[in-house]
Amino acid sequence: MEAKEQKRHQRKQSGPKAERKKSRKQRAPGAEPDEDERRRNPRAFAVQSAVRMAKTFHRAQDLKTKKHHIPLVDRTPLEPPPVVVVVVGPPRVGKSTIIRCLIKNFTRQKLGDICGPVTIVSGKKRRLTFIECGNDINTMIDLAKVADLVLMLIDASFGFEMETFEFLNILQVHGFPRIMGVLTHLDSFKNNKTLRKTKKRLKHRFWTEVYQGAKLFYLSGMVHGEYQAQEVKNLGRFISVMKFRPLVWQTSHPYVVADRMEDLTDPETLRVDPKCDRTVSLYGYLRGTYLKNKGQVHIPGVGDFAVADVSFLPDPCPLPEEQKKRALNQKERLLYAPMAGVGGVVYDKDAVYIDLVSSHVDQPQAEMRPTAELVQSLIGTHATLDAKLAASKVSLFSGAAAMTPGEQQAPLENRVWDPVTQRERRKAVFSDDEEEGDARRGQDEEEKAPRVKRQRLERVEAKPPVEMPAFADSEDDLEMSGDDGEQSEEDEREGAEGGTADSGHCSEEEVDDDDEDEAEDDNEEKQDGKEEEDDEEDDDYDDDEDSDMETEVTAPVNISALRWKEGLAQKASEAFLRQQQAAPNLRKLVYGGVTDDEDADEIGGLFRVSRPEKSRSRRVDAMDCSRFVPDSPHDWDQEEVLNSIRDCFVTGKWEESKDAATLLKEDEELYGDFEDLETGEVHHGKPAKEEDSEEEEVMVKEDAEEEQKKKRLEKKRRLKERFDSEYDDGDATYFDDLKEEMQKQAELNRAEFENIDDEARVQYEGFRPGMYIRMEIPGLPCEFVNNFDPHYPIILGGLGASEGNVGYLQMRLKKHRWHQRILKTRDPLILSLGWRRFQSIPLYHIEDHNGRHRLLKYTPQHMHCGATIWGPITPQGTGFLAVQSVSGTQAGFRIAATGVILDLDKSVTIVKKLKLIGYPYKIFKNTAFIKGMFNTMLEVAKFEGASVRTVSGIRGQIKKALRTPSGAYRATFEDRILMSDIVLLRSWCPVSVPQLYNPVTSLLQPVGQKDSWSGMRTLGQLKRDLGLRNKPNQDSLYKPVVRTKRHFNPLHIPKQLQKALPFKSKPKQDQKKGKTPRHLQRPAVIREPHERKVAALLTALSTVHNYKTKKAKAEQHAKHKEFLKQKEREEMEKLKRQKEARKKMYRIMGQKEKKRERSSLKGSSKDD
Amino acid sequence: MASQGLTYEGCNFFRQRLVLSTLSGKWVKIKNIRSKDDSPGLQDFEASFIRLMDKITNGTRIEINQTGTVLYYQPGLLFGGQVEHECNPQRSIGYYLEALLMLAPFMKKPLRAVLRGVTNDQKDPSVDTLKVTSIPLMKSFGIDGEGLELKIMKRGMPPGGGGEVLFTCPVRRTIRPVQLTDPGKIKRIRGTAYSVRVSPQIANRIVDSARSILNKFIPDIYIYTDHMKGGNAGKSPGFGLALVAESTNGMFLSAELASNPQGQGSPMLPEDLGCNCAKLLLEEVYRGGCVDSTNQSLALLYMTLGQQDVSKLLLGPLSPYTREFLRHIRDFFQIMFKIEVQKQEDESRRGGDKVLMTCMGAGYANISKTLK
Repeated sequence: MEAKEQKRHQRKQSGPKAERKKSRKQRAPGAEPDEDERRRNPRAFAVQSAVRMAKTFHRAQDLKTKKHHIPLVDRTPLEPPPVVVVVVGPPRVGKSTIIRCLIKNFTRQKLGDICGPVTIVSGKKRRLTFIECGNDINTMIDLAKVADLVLMLIDASFGFEMETFEFLNILQVHGFPRIMGVLTHLDSFKNNKTLRKTKKRLKHRFWTEVYQGAKLFYLSGMVHGEYQAQEVKNLGRFISVMKFRPLVWQTSHPYVVADRMEDLTDPETLRVDPKCDRTVSLYGYLRGTYLKNKGQVHIPGVGDFAVADVSFLPDPCPLPEEQKKRALNQKERLLYAPMAGVGGVVYDKDAVYIDLVSSHVDQPQAEMRPTAELVQSLIGTHATLDAKLAASKVSLFSGAAAMTPGEQQAPLENRVWDPVTQRERRKAVFSDDEEEGDARRGQDEEEKAPRVKRQRLERVEAKPPVEMPAFADSEDDLEMSGDDGEQSEEDEREGAEGGTADSGHCSEEEVDDDDEDEAEDDNEEKQDGKEEEDDEEDDDYDDDEDSDMETEVTAPVNISALRWKEGLAQKASEAFLRQQQAAPNLRKLVYGGVTDDEDADEIGGLFRVSRPEKSRSRRVDAMDCSRFVPDSPHDWDQEEVLNSIRDCFVTGKWEESKDAATLLKEDEELYGDFEDLETGEVHHGKPAKEEDSEEEEVMVKEDAEEEQKKKRLEKKRRLKERFDSEYDDGDATYFDDLKEEMQKQAELNRAEFENIDDEARVQYEGFRPGMYIRMEIPGLPCEFVNNFDPHYPIILGGLGASEGNVGYLQMRLKKHRWHQRILKTRDPLILSLGWRRFQSIPLYHIEDHNGRHRLLKYTPQHMHCGATIWGPITPQGTGFLAVQSVSGTQAGFRIAATGVILDLDKSVTIVKKLKLIGYPYKIFKNTAFIKGMFNTMLEVAKFEGASVRTVSGIRGQIKKALRTPSGAYRATFEDRILMSDIVLLRSWCPVSVPQLYNPVTSLLQPVGQKDSWSGMRTLGQLKRDLGLRNKPNQDSLYKPVVRTKRHFNPLHIPKQLQKALPFKSKPKQDQKKGKTPRHLQRPAVIREPHERKVAALLTALSTVHNYKTKKAKAEQHAKHKEFLKQKEREEMEKLKRQKEARKKMYRIMGQKEKKRERSSLKGSSKDD
Repeated sequence: MASQGLTYEGCNFFRQRLVLSTLSGKWVKIKNIRSKDDSPGLQDFEASFIRLMDKITNGTRIEINQTGTVLYYQPGLLFGGQVEHECNPQRSIGYYLEALLMLAPFMKKPLRAVLRGVTNDQKDPSVDTLKVTSIPLMKSFGIDGEGLELKIMKRGMPPGGGGEVLFTCPVRRTIRPVQLTDPGKIKRIRGTAYSVRVSPQIANRIVDSARSILNKFIPDIYIYTDHMKGGNAGKSPGFGLALVAESTNGMFLSAELASNPQGQGSPMLPEDLGCNCAKLLLEEVYRGGCVDSTNQSLALLYMTLGQQDVSKLLLGPLSPYTREFLRHIRDFFQIMFKIEVQKQEDESRRGGDKVLMTCMGAGYANISKTLK
């Protein structure tokens, strides 16, 4: 029989059935089933089991609540700072290339060396800051703390490298920012199948590390040294629509990724001491949260510093103003990267390089761009209001007219071949010091030539020659012949003079403050016009200063020093006019005059103004009391005074909106129209007549209209609220309420300071995240400036209250499972905690069941343990990671441990076990005198009552100290101890944590050696380095065991005791028998040969007999067994039979029973 | 690592400086303490206060020079737990308690402090007042729960003292921002008239006189009479009245008056005391605001230490103590308040001008509390 070919199913392509199917398919899988489906098949939706239903419901609710995050107040600023995109990856993976491609994609500009952060405007609402992360673990740690998005580059031809995993772990510890993997070098795969397989393998590994479904991007190949434009575009799109979750540390701390650095140190002090501490100003966008002025910041790699001053600057890379178009135009695609030399200007630490585009780029663009950018950047520098900057090297242009392309030939160029960018860089050399330039050129070239991607050790000594600013006097000629360094110093000194002129002005103001201080003693009520005067002068000064600033912006610096004297009389008169109008300002009263007037008292640094100290001294030593007793109390017997507070009581008049009568009326208006169903009467609310009349008045009174509108809106809102509360409350959960509350708070936060101008707002809120700020930091070590390398990020992390202090930190720590060795107590470890990286000495401990923290010698293998260090106070719950060294690269996984801060304290509670040993020197029954455990009576006294133990396990107690020998004591035991016993006292001894806090100062290392910081070495390393070996304890060595023969003394029983013993135990009886006396010894029997034969035969016979009996016995045994089995079988048989019989009988009996029952039932029914 | 610090002069605002120093972690140095006085240096009650600070903290470093005119205070971490303190009778327990109220929510362990000394005197806010005003204020900042309690075990009047107060407070990690801009209207007035070691009739006389004035405004007045006897009555005789007015929005305004200490000043009539105290309360109502004048600084401190959100608070005129406190807050936390005066219209009968204080919290978190 052949298999019949069945007709295959034909799917309908059209018609009602196909339509229906299509519609069903189109419906989203999660969507609710149609109503008619429920109706059509009600049984499928019926409740089968209540328990099951409860379970499913429960589970669904569980899943739902699991999705909830704790609602946070949305504190993201309206104009957020640029998103920090950190590009990481091992060397030669294509980090710089991808940044370059992305920048080109967004701004159509080419960047050479990616040096420092690069900020661009990527869209209408988003800016990006790209930072390249080198392969140094210090850099990786620092950048992981500030990253919003991480582009993790992976060389697909090689696979994952250890750095990638290390970086992932660092991210995990410091809050998990968004991560995007990018696979590069995919063009190295010739075989398509291996490519696919590799992609899949890498993808899945990446997913296990980040999360299932994490985005992994593929960059398939290079075209002319760049990635394919379409792929880069896609990547750019992904970046510009990405959303970010707030990270705890970042949202609770302000921070700045500095993109510009300037040295402001006074050149004179620099000349006197080139190694003096520097004052440096750092620029960057503020991120995280509000930054308060005069706070403390930590610069990772340098240390903690107090901020001298913060000021905000106009945004160098602002978002476009109007938002009409879909895309940005060319002008709005801004790029800002002061360290990377955008637009041909490179700010170096003490020079400015001008980079002209080389010949192979098309000329018109080259002419257009650099000049425009140059001018722009110069304007930018002036706008910083920084006098020092004006005096720095850039000022050479301000004196001269703006440079035109034709004039570019004026400075001589110094061509330097840059092998990295494959183009010539031309250094600008001006004709003024041609000779010097010539002399140095050769050297320059030598040094410049090997300028590779990372700057190497030697720093270019030559500074570019500079034209003197306009105010240079005749002496400058002399200076010119000297070192260039001095020139710049001179410039800056000039700038500083300008500053002192300002400060001279300042002192005047401070004197004013002083007056104000005195005036302040007066009570608020008695505040007189004098106060106002001072305040106004204050104001005046501010204005004055502002105008100064402005002049600095517009005019060359030289005149600014004398500017303030201009138009003094006019200003004074203006101030007077204003103070006439002004009302007393409470803010000025509180905050205006609290500046410390110590300095203001001095005139010219020589004389001290003697002021009557009466009021001040009275104030400073007055009684400290919070009660506010009125000076001039009201007379509460008068009726009008009483009336003045009448409305503060519920019995008084209420406001219009809250009055009970009004509320009632409103209700009537809202719910006015109703029909009484019982009577059929229809009630109408009052028709709103006002509106009609209002329409007539519209032309006349627009204010009234507005008011009415507001009122109506208010009414509507209230009505809606009431409606919501009535109808939504059933659904509103605690979570919803909380969210709503947070929402309200966020709105308030935004609205509160919105309308104040930035100057004042900054004082209330601090600097907003998103502002471009300048921070002036004094006292930085000179190495920071000397060894500055823009490739390493400079982060200014703000510190919260008391985070600048040091104390003991208790943390939960776990050795990383990939780190090969366990960690030893007291081995120094480098921790990354908060903003900081520092070396400290941890003590590991574990908590016993009774809450005691017992010291551990090593970290446990696969378990958390406690650790205590001496380190910076950091809020609890902050994660940290530990590495053993940050220098170079070592084999294996570098992250040694991770953990979290649990507790901060100023004292430690770790203990270790201590066993004190002593020896008995006199023993009476259960009492013994022990010596050698303590040294003095006092020590013993402290341990009275402590329990002791012998090695053999006899327990005892310390009773009392003995006078001699000192440190000996009397102890009682549960049994008599031996003189050979050792007595132990187990106790716990507190351990002190070594107070080592050694910040990792990697940024201070010389250029090129920044990854070679090494701190305190571990004991093991020291021994290895010095070739030392530990001398073992002689007692711990194994030696051949020599056992001396033990000699026992004969047992001696006293006579008395002997007498008392029972007869059998008397030692006489117990005596050894000794040799049998001769006469008792029996003679040996010697057999004759015949007898021997007989005996042998008898033995043989008996053997045979024995064998036979044995055999017979075995047989008998087997038989008996068989018999027993048989018997058992029969027994079973019998039981079976009996059982069956019984069964039969029972059945019959049962039937009978049933019958009887039935009959009885019948009988009863009959009875019924 | 050099931590930041501040230097001040003179002994005034001594508590503020130490409290803010402890909270902010900045050291403080106070110079020229009564340097030109007949008895220079720190006085006994200040020394006692320093000792109390030492008891509730761990790792605090205090250095005082020979004459006691210079104090260096390096704060440790707030520890809390069981604390017993013998307060110096020169100042009442309120002096010490005000600082404890500021610090208590930020301890490592919930504070349970037993303070012994003078419970009511004429200089400082009494324990009765703090109990009825500060505790509800703390509740509005999210510091609540059954652990928050202020209990007067024994009463002690100056100069002898002998009172005992139990203060317990739970620990919080963060403080909630508040918007207290509407004080509402006063709906009831409560009070305590106390008398120790004098005739129990005195309390009743105080009540009658106080009611006679307050009844003009509101009928809902109840003044408890608290007469303590024997061991609970302390060592010196005295009497007094503490009044509190509660508004519809749960705000409390208080006033209080105590008799002159034994042997100092002329004896007071209980009727006068009652009347004066009632007038003081009216004065306080006239000043108005959501917080009475003694608690202004406490409320402002909690606003400062809140999360990074906007807090608003309506106050009456700022007391000199509060004004200095605001300056100190700026020194220690770099937080400035937006101060807006709300003028009252002439026809409105709602007391004097009010001040609306607005600030952005410092985002302060309790760093002492242990994470489990």
